[in-house]
Amino acid sequence: MSEQLKALRADLLKARVECSPQQLLDLIPYSSFIGAEAKIEAGEVLYWLDRRSSNIGNPSLPAIHGGVIGGFLELSAGIEILYTLDVESIPKVVDFSLDYLRPGRYKTIYANCTVLRQGKKLVNVTATAWQDNPETPIATARCHFLIC
Amino acid sequence: MDLKLAIFRPLLKQAMEKHGHGAALGFELTKVGRGEIEMTFPYKEEVVGNPITGVIHGGVIVSLLDTACGSAAITTLTSPSITPTMDLRLDYMHPAEPRQPIYISAKVYRNSSNVIFCRGSAWQDDPENPIAHCVATFMKVDSPSISFGNVIRRRLNRLVRGDKAYEREADK
Repeated sequence: MSEQLKALRADLLKARVECSPQQLLDLIPYSSFIGAEAKIEAGEVLYWLDRRSSNIGNPSLPAIHGGVIGGFLELSAGIEILYTLDVESIPKVVDFSLDYLRPGRYKTIYANCTVLRQGKKLVNVTATAWQDNPETPIATARCHFLIC
Repeated sequence: MDLKLAIFRPLLKQAMEKHGHGAALGFELTKVGRGEIEMTFPYKEEVVGNPITGVIHGGVIVSLLDTACGSAAITTLTSPSITPTMDLRLDYMHPAEPRQPIYISAKVYRNSSNVIFCRGSAWQDDPENPIAHCVATFMKVDSPSISFGNVIRRRLNRLVRGDKAYEREADK
């Protein structure tokens, strides 16, 4: 096993023991590129993305870029697997399906994820994003990841 | 020659490459045709998804394909409308090779009265062996508010009032 992989496994364990999903986000450069953050709230992981000008898609509305919402949900789903399941490497995404329900306005986006099924190789995760109220989601996604 | 498209092409390039997330990613639109877009994305360390392999995060591919398909959808419009994305579905065939550019192409394959259907593909060495493939659908919504005159008026207002007013407006 390479030194890098050993270090990664130690980091994964540490984040789970210390109940800190943020430590997992910090391992992935893309998280800080879009500004994703995470914490534990009511026993679940809450992900959020504060507004920043580099995430704007349509400057005349302004609205958050649809791709950023998708990227944020895919990132959250991957972190959910790293945090809640006993995996030892970064899961590989196989497919990703996203429904846009409402425009993402220029303010904080929240998300939570649910692992619907975990097999030996494949995991199915859903992710939902909202802004004002979890009852009025702005987007939902589901994705498959390989964990072997 | 398509005169409308000739005028629209630089505006679209400017809007996609120079603002917000497009500028942050740093891709280039290399072809803008009616219902057809091609893009190039150079590798970037900041968007890595796997720190061990250096492979970029799938979220970047989502943004690139969403931008390409959305732009392809816009080019098919004949009246002032907006085209919000309804859904986007991506299949990842194999991981992107680190430190290599990614090429994107998107094409509208059906333009109905209310919905625009689009396909997109991302590849590196061989278009026949893509790293990802996607289908996306866009709604056609008539919107007089994005007519040329109204957009210019809003931009002028924003210039006069400054960026703070712009952010306050966003909070409403």
